[in-house]
Amino acid sequence: MISDRLKRNLKKEFRNSLLAKVGVFLMLLVVLSATFAPLLAPHNPTQTNPEQAQLPPLGFESERETSEFVDGEVQTVSRSVEGSMEHPMGTDAVGRDMASRILYGARTSLLVGLIGSAVAAITGVTVGLTAGYYGGRIDDGLMRFADVMLAFPSLVLAVALVGLLGPLTVPIPDPFVTAGLADGMPETFVFPVTVTLVVALVNWVWFARIARGEALSLRQEEYVKAARSMGASDGRIILRHVLPNSFTPILVLATIQVAAIILLESALSFLGFSGTNLSWGFDIAQGRNYLATSWWIASIPGLAIVAAVIGINLIGDWLRDALDPGIEGESGGM
Amino acid sequence: MSLAKFLVRRSLQGLFVIWGVVTAVFMLRFVTPGSPVDFVAPLDASPELRARIAAELGLDQPMYIQYLDYLWGLLQLDMGYSYISSTPAAARVFARLPATIELAVAATVVAIVFSIPLGVISATNRHEPADYAATGFSLVGISTPNFWLGIMLVLLVSVQLGWFPTGRRAIGFWPAVQLIWQEGTLAGIVVWLRYITLPAITLGTYFTALITRLTRSGMLDELGKEYVRAARAKGLPETLVRYKHALRNTLIPIITILGLQLGTLIGGAVITEAVFTWPGLGTLVIDAINSRDWPIIQGSLIVIGAGFVIVNTIVDGLYAYINPQVVYE
Repeated sequence: MISDRLKRNLKKEFRNSLLAKVGVFLMLLVVLSATFAPLLAPHNPTQTNPEQAQLPPLGFESERETSEFVDGEVQTVSRSVEGSMEHPMGTDAVGRDMASRILYGARTSLLVGLIGSAVAAITGVTVGLTAGYYGGRIDDGLMRFADVMLAFPSLVLAVALVGLLGPLTVPIPDPFVTAGLADGMPETFVFPVTVTLVVALVNWVWFARIARGEALSLRQEEYVKAARSMGASDGRIILRHVLPNSFTPILVLATIQVAAIILLESALSFLGFSGTNLSWGFDIAQGRNYLATSWWIASIPGLAIVAAVIGINLIGDWLRDALDPGIEGESGGM
Repeated sequence: MSLAKFLVRRSLQGLFVIWGVVTAVFMLRFVTPGSPVDFVAPLDASPELRARIAAELGLDQPMYIQYLDYLWGLLQLDMGYSYISSTPAAARVFARLPATIELAVAATVVAIVFSIPLGVISATNRHEPADYAATGFSLVGISTPNFWLGIMLVLLVSVQLGWFPTGRRAIGFWPAVQLIWQEGTLAGIVVWLRYITLPAITLGTYFTALITRLTRSGMLDELGKEYVRAARAKGLPETLVRYKHALRNTLIPIITILGLQLGTLIGGAVITEAVFTWPGLGTLVIDAINSRDWPIIQGSLIVIGAGFVIVNTIVDGLYAYINPQVVYE
């Protein structure tokens, strides 16, 4: 489905665009963190350690009030603590290592983003192509259903569904730990199933709309009519002719949707609905209660989200510019 | 098709979608695990007590009866009684509506005031530092989760500098305005502004970034067109060319996209409210979900969904009215 011309355009755009390079770099960072989190993480991200709680990141200092025995009685002492290499991004309120949590959080974001976007794309494209290709009653029915779906702001719908269905999660054994390469790391990765399905459910409509539009226009094309007159089945025509030709806009949408879904997942985790406690949104919610004493707990995970989403948006821009060279130049920054 | 006919048809379509929304929200209770009785009855309730509670809530009826009852109630603005506080659900939902509307409108104002000048500056100073700054801002703006932005604003502006309150809403816009002519004081409005500033910026930033992007690319497109060259050639001042001609044509498609983004605005409001404990529909629905207070959940979801459909219908109508080129299909 990816033609040679497209590959050439992608390469050309990549060479000419600094932003495309930044996007790929940021995305690589996220993918590598997510994949090799057990090998890269300095500590077990779920290991609490009250002695080491609220340590600032490397290069920062923080005042801490502790109760200590001085001259035989308990006194509140203000002490200055410095960040160290031991915890380069500091620790959270219960002493978990932030750097390790950021690395593991990339797994949740990326997996929910990729799988959620893929499920939404497959569902939406199937529905949209069917509606657009057959038209008539099927089309009317499916599109009215899509209208009702679109009448709910996706975040509101997602909050309601996840909140009411309850957070179903599936533990996936970590291959690195199973292979004995990462001792002391969590043995399983908790995959939030409800969240992934719900984000797909609230986003498939966009794919359905695009696919329908493409199918509607492609249906009139000569080669589709020719295939039909040669006796090709509807299924074959949709799969062999309509789908490949609507691939480009769907790919661009799927990319942008990964970013949208990462933002949505972080919001659901922030509200406490995701069921996993290794998520950037979850950490922001935790850190929110310690803004006055430990700014880094809420700040750093947010920076991670912004970096990941910027990376994906830049890749989306790169794909769009490469796929549609006609608009290149005039809307360069878009 | 005439404009009037289009408006009637569009309104009927809107009503149909609202009915779909109501039905979907009603069905939600039947596809989610757990019975409402579990949340209302005491843990050690006897089966008889549970049955009585179910009967009192009307849950012992067949589903279609419950559905028709609910629809009939809704037509009279009756959404049942809150399971938790036993107060009428409709009153609680509508009491929260003004706060959410204020927040959404304030965020839109923030977005429009900042984005359009930014987009124009960016487009007219292409490949200059101002353009790079505006493009950079909009890229970061559309990539930042608004709840995190809100928390960072609280951290920097409220906690560190103490300029604005960290959350809540001390006074509504309408009471604040009434104070002006009843007491002749601006104090109410000042307080209102102090409380809404950070939430409005939090919710508005994504839209500021988005509209900046759209304005920039739209202006660049328009400025490259024939009519702009013609206007310049006949000696029209550059300001007139830019603002009267190019900007005006840029704004039309932007209005359409804003209409489409309304859902993002409402969804964003829900989470912004959660950050600032803003007493709107968002905080109400989240609390209701956590306590499975079904009448409140249903009521607020219906108001959000229906409000969204109504505003969209109005936007479509206005759009058809301003833009004579629109094709009524």
